Amino acid sequence: DFGANAGLAAGAAQPVAAIPATGMPQSPQEPLAAQFGQMNLGPQSVQQAPQMQPPPQHLNQLYPTDLVTQPFNVMELDLPPPQINLPPNTSATPSPYANCPPKFVRSTLNTVPTTHSLLKKSRLPFALVIQPYTSLHDAEDPVPVVPDQVISRCRRCRAYINPFVTFLDHGHRWRCNMCNLTNDVPQAFDWDSAAQKSVDRWQRPELNHAVCEFVAPQEYMVRPPQPLVYLFLFDVSYAAVTNGLLATSARCILESLDRIPNADRRTRIGFMAVDSSLHYFSIPRDGSESNEPNMLVVSDLDEPFLPTPTDLLVNLSESRANVENFLEKLQSMFQDTQIAASAMGSALRAGHKLISPVGGKITVLTASLPNVGYGKLEMREDKKMLGTSKEGSLLQTANSFYKSFAVECSKNQVSIDMFLFSSQYQDVATLSNLPRYTGGQTYFYPGWNAARSEDAIKFAREFSDYLSAEIGLEAVLRVRATTGLRMSTFYGNFFNRSSDLCAFPAFPRDQSYVVEVAIDETITKPYVCMQAAVLHTTCNGERRIRVLTLALPTTETLANIYASADQAAITVYFSHKAVERALGSGLEAARDALQAKVIEILQTYRKELAGGNMGGGGLQLPHNLRALPVLFLGLIKNVGLRKSAQIPSDLRSAALCLLSTLPLPLMIQYIYPKFFSLHDMPDNAGVPDPATGEILLPPPCNLSSERIVPYGLYLIDDGVNQFVWIGRDAVPALLLDVFGMDDRAAIKQGKTSLPVLENEFNERVRAVIEKSKDHRAKGVGSIVVPTLYVIKEDGDPSLKLWAQTLLVEDRADQGVSLQQWMGMLREKVVQ
Amino acid sequence: MDYESLKEQWSEIEDRDGVRLSWNTFPSSRMEASRLVVPIGALYTPLKEKTDTPLLQYEPVSCKAPCRAVLNPFCQVDMRARLWICPFCLQRNALPPHYKDISQDAIPPELHPNSTTIEYRLARPAPSPPIFVFVVDTCQEEDSLKALKDSIIMSLSLLPPYALVGLITFGTMAQVHELGYTECAKSYVFRGSKDYAAKQVQEMLGLMPAGLRPNMPPQPGRAPPPMGPAARFLLPVQQCEFQLTNALEQLQKDPWPVANDKRALRCTGVALSVAVGLLETSFQNSGGRIMLFTGGPATEGPGMVVGPELREPIRSHHDIDRDNIKYYKKALKFYDNLAKRTAHNGHIIDIFAGCLDQVGLLEMKGLSNSTGGHMILTDSFTSSMYKQSFARVFNKDADDNLLMGFNASLEVLTTKELKVTGLIGHAISLNKKSSSVGETECGIGNTCSWKMCGIDPEASYGIYFEIASQGGPNQLQQGPQKGMIQFLTYYQHSAGQYHLRVTTVARNLSGPSGDPAIAQSFDQEASAVLMSRIAVFKAEVDDGPDVLRWVDRMLIRLCSRFAEYRKDDPSSFRLEKNFTLYPQFMFHLRRSQFLQVFNNSPDETAFYRHVLNHEDVSNSLIMIQPTLDSYGFDHEGSQPVLLDSTSIQSETILLLDTFFHILIFHGETMAEWRKAGYQDQEGYDSFRTLLEAPKEDAKELIQDRFPLPRFIVCDAGGSQARFLLSKLNPSTTHTTGSYGGVSQTAQTIFTDDVSLQTFMDHLMKLAVSGTG
Ligand SMILES: [Zn+2]
Ligand SMILES: [Zn+2]
Repeated sequence: DFGANAGLAAGAAQPVAAIPATGMPQSPQEPLAAQFGQMNLGPQSVQQAPQMQPPPQHLNQLYPTDLVTQPFNVMELDLPPPQINLPPNTSATPSPYANCPPKFVRSTLNTVPTTHSLLKKSRLPFALVIQPYTSLHDAEDPVPVVPDQVISRCRRCRAYINPFVTFLDHGHRWRCNMCNLTNDVPQAFDWDSAAQKSVDRWQRPELNHAVCEFVAPQEYMVRPPQPLVYLFLFDVSYAAVTNGLLATSARCILESLDRIPNADRRTRIGFMAVDSSLHYFSIPRDGSESNEPNMLVVSDLDEPFLPTPTDLLVNLSESRANVENFLEKLQSMFQDTQIAASAMGSALRAGHKLISPVGGKITVLTASLPNVGYGKLEMREDKKMLGTSKEGSLLQTANSFYKSFAVECSKNQVSIDMFLFSSQYQDVATLSNLPRYTGGQTYFYPGWNAARSEDAIKFAREFSDYLSAEIGLEAVLRVRATTGLRMSTFYGNFFNRSSDLCAFPAFPRDQSYVVEVAIDETITKPYVCMQAAVLHTTCNGERRIRVLTLALPTTETLANIYASADQAAITVYFSHKAVERALGSGLEAARDALQAKVIEILQTYRKELAGGNMGGGGLQLPHNLRALPVLFLGLIKNVGLRKSAQIPSDLRSAALCLLSTLPLPLMIQYIYPKFFSLHDMPDNAGVPDPATGEILLPPPCNLSSERIVPYGLYLIDDGVNQFVWIGRDAVPALLLDVFGMDDRAAIKQGKTSLPVLENEFNERVRAVIEKSKDHRAKGVGSIVVPTLYVIKEDGDPSLKLWAQTLLVEDRADQGVSLQQWMGMLREKVVQ
Repeated sequence: MDYESLKEQWSEIEDRDGVRLSWNTFPSSRMEASRLVVPIGALYTPLKEKTDTPLLQYEPVSCKAPCRAVLNPFCQVDMRARLWICPFCLQRNALPPHYKDISQDAIPPELHPNSTTIEYRLARPAPSPPIFVFVVDTCQEEDSLKALKDSIIMSLSLLPPYALVGLITFGTMAQVHELGYTECAKSYVFRGSKDYAAKQVQEMLGLMPAGLRPNMPPQPGRAPPPMGPAARFLLPVQQCEFQLTNALEQLQKDPWPVANDKRALRCTGVALSVAVGLLETSFQNSGGRIMLFTGGPATEGPGMVVGPELREPIRSHHDIDRDNIKYYKKALKFYDNLAKRTAHNGHIIDIFAGCLDQVGLLEMKGLSNSTGGHMILTDSFTSSMYKQSFARVFNKDADDNLLMGFNASLEVLTTKELKVTGLIGHAISLNKKSSSVGETECGIGNTCSWKMCGIDPEASYGIYFEIASQGGPNQLQQGPQKGMIQFLTYYQHSAGQYHLRVTTVARNLSGPSGDPAIAQSFDQEASAVLMSRIAVFKAEVDDGPDVLRWVDRMLIRLCSRFAEYRKDDPSSFRLEKNFTLYPQFMFHLRRSQFLQVFNNSPDETAFYRHVLNHEDVSNSLIMIQPTLDSYGFDHEGSQPVLLDSTSIQSETILLLDTFFHILIFHGETMAEWRKAGYQDQEGYDSFRTLLEAPKEDAKELIQDRFPLPRFIVCDAGGSQARFLLSKLNPSTTHTTGSYGGVSQTAQTIFTDDVSLQTFMDHLMKLAVSGTG
């Protein structure tokens, strides 16, 4: 075997000691790894015979369970997804990172049916949940970077070389794992022409890591890399000034200027304000004759125009002092306003005109319904419509401007984020179109007021993190796959520019995407590969490609499919589908489709795999899918979809935005919130784990009021809101420990924060609440700081009712309990 | 009375009343009047500075409606009955109670014989302090913009501290600066290419009361700003001087890039319409000036006068003649509409042009002409001509009040023999009908009342009359019959009160047909000026040659009527002393820039005509027939010489005053000596003195002149000398020169390159032939 290897190295000097690729995560020291690395080539090149070998499959076993006799336990949600069992030596290197980790890509099926008909028969969806980024900043979760600009791609399908290609012809050629074409191996893989020495190709990150990033050479750019551009669009009408939004956001930007990515000192920043007029601000460079900002008001809303060609978008480094001066002034500039109108549509068009030559981000901070100028909207919500079949229309776009404009923005590399703060109807449904098609996000702060410190702090923290995020720019996402597979539908916030290309003027780090995969041809290989590539410009002006390659085994049997199905990924897929259905056909239809789907899966499993077994309760699923019914119930009961006549349509629309963008861990939490019992948490909870130093959380509870005792203290956390629940009989000692007062009546309920007290229990409770928010621990990037509410069981009934709606397994409002749900499912399945 | 004494008398009257009449005896019949050729007219300077008469601090006593004539020295007053008879309507009026102490020895000032002109300060205060809106073109080179900014900043110190000021700047776009906003520089920007309706401008500036604005319910519990919404833009100088000075100092050249083959985009029209809109809502009929400072032609949006392409030249008189004018009519219509609106609102538009090329004054002239604004045409804002002229706008009287009146109306009352036919000057009609309004129309007619948004002590108006009576003098009255005119000028004084100036003019009516008193009362100077105004008024609407023919015809008819001659014998032709200069005036008028436009740009023509329509008799005469003085060793000081090429002598220095130009011309020898530097050598003191003398006199001439004239020093043979030559009667060079510059059509009797002598020969021939 060494002989073959020697042949490969013949033209090169002796391999030198490996230099670990920068940014590579610490790999567990595998003493044999190096040896395997040397050895893998030989056997594999032999193995690469054209005919199919009967694979030595060690696929996941099907473990049937009974949902009725063995009820769902919340701990099951924390189990990892079914293992991906690839045939031995599938990857070119034995790296433990050769296959894509689930935090980046999760497939609904970790074993792929070889035919379309088998997939159809399974009644399960085949889709990928792709989350290209797992943190807001590179440093928090770095991926290996290929810095030398040598990018080897398949000549036919343009796939990037990855750990699953096979080397042929003494390593001079590689065979594409997507389309089978053989390609030349670049010389630079073995020979560093600049340093005039040989290099070890096996150290290359792209052959060892399924997730890596290439630094792109010139050919990948149609123009010089775009600088990071932030245009802030402030609502300065009466509502936004009086609720403190303007002052808070101006102050927050001021304090976050150092956090805005600007390593290359090219970051540009601009500001506009809008009421019934558009207000432009020209900010001179530091050290100009005058350093004062100049406000230019344009009330002509017909056709946007720029009042001056200069200084509206300034280089942050060159105008730093004057930007600060401006932001100081901005906080009070509109304090005497009496204007109640907002020409936000016109302002957006003007902002687009301003930044479209470069592209960039428009950050909208508004507390008003755009009621004058372009795309003006009307108060169309009528309380009587809520809960009826007419409700669906409120979730639809009221003015086509918002879609067409968003598409226009996408073409010009302009992305829009909406921060919405109205205390009245704001038409989130319509406004959310702007982020939806431009790779942005809708952030909703209903009833926000800066006078409430909790509101001010929450927004300031989130906005500061938002500004610090290392977003990508002018990005495109493409997913390639082994011949026979085809990406059929894409879900998420972007513009689908062509059948397989998604365009993102800005690429966020806190969203995920779902891609449905179609099986067009019978797959003859033992495994398939799918490769997502995000070509983008980093906020530091580097053109890069983030590549994620996932290999999955294939099967011809239904049992294997079911044994490897990922209930969380399936739920995320159906969450996107439900949002699509809700927007298209209404909430009722969306809920019905979800219910029909879970019944269909249960029926299929029972019929095809359980042999029609009626044993036990008669509702069976394999252990890896046991949470599916309760997750579907959670989805149906989520504020975005729940049957209710009490939910304002803005709240629903905002929830639908989350249900179609949240990264998988947050999505699951949003659907089935975390529930901790605090008063009786184990001693190790709320204190750091001695091994990792991380705070340990108490064991989660099922979301059922049966878990609540009257003297207890609980935390319910759906990732958006956190509720601290005080039982009606909570003892004064407990209250004194946690709230610093033993008089329960004196404890402030509603939006608040816990006092910092000098006692261990208070510290542990706060630690749990804090840890529950920890995005990094969940493997996701997010800016969201959940709002904390203190609920007294015997206090404000509406607050209590709100918290109770998160108890998914309870019966509440018009929703059924888990028990009723299971009973109903059983009825339908068994009939 | 001999001619010299008459002249003296007229001059005294002019000093006292600001009035010069073409005929100082009124014909008593229409028939007689029709034979005068030159109409009965008055050149009236309503606000002529008067230091000798007191300002009356009480309300005038007026006749009953509809007459409303004001008590004056010509009224018959029955002291006992305390009644007065109005000479205009013959009604009896009771004197008000507080005149109870009136007696032969104690008569109120307005009845004093010398009080033919008297001024009242009325109890009615002006609705607001005077307003000054600076409209500044930023498409200029840094140095000229700097000079302009400096001049405006300087002017702030000349304004009364309570005067309201505003700032609008423009280039590619127009910006209204919100001077009341103190957080930072703030301005409202208007697209330069768009024709904003009045209502849009007001909405966009937020000038509509909150409740009237669409989608903007008034916020409860918030009081509207005290001075109305426009107070954000227009503030007392004392309050916003810092802000305004700052805004002016920060003013930069228009930041939009301009290609090499392009003109800067300049939206003068939008800037003006925004300025007009700004004043319109909150300050209608409060005195205010919109002062436009433009460094070039409008090239963008409504009112553009030339396209931005440099290869496309701005229109000339020839283009207009050939109807080769792409933007002219549209621009004219735009500015005329704007002028109408502004005048209706009671505001003034001044135009200050600082540009070597044309700026479109021709199109914009209505703005100043209709509103009584100034028009200053200079090469650059760095020139002293601009700086000093601009500063003179803010001249003050002895009480430190600005010498400018606002929002004036001039009403003319006549006794029944006379009817007013119109006014020529910077005013618009107030369309007021009365028994004083005549049947025919001369200038702006069909009214007895006009509005002057801006009026100043020099502003002079030509007012024309006709005779209504069919028969002879009224037999019922005793003594010489008089025709009377009363001019009532209401205006907002810059000190903040309304004033009323009353001038009452009474002249004898002629006796029976053929009364020689009429001819003797002919004021040829006033007549020449009044006729010039008519000629220019005609020239604005008629073809140039038609106007020249009209001038000629009128002259011939006048001579036929008033000269002594034997029919068909030119050698017998004689004119009375008070007619002798009149043909010369007409000779020079028809050669002047007012009627011969082709040597000037259309902008210059508009400018010259504007100034002519503002000045009094003596200034107008200088414009029509420039003065020429000679300096030489053979006489002490200056000596008036003929405006004739024979006056050019090699050993003299000439000083020419055309009103617009002051020119010092060194004869050949004088120029040689000066170049040789004799004046700096000892023993040549007299030469040095001689060189200095015309300069000193020139300084004297420009002392009070507005606009400041262009000052030229030149030598015989030098290129600048053409300014002189073009004004001289070509008596020695008429066979070779071509001074008029335009060839005449066959029907024209006189050609322009004829000398005065030839002109007179033709005149005499035609006058005696009776073919006029
Ligand atoms: Zn390929
Ligand atoms: Zn009367």
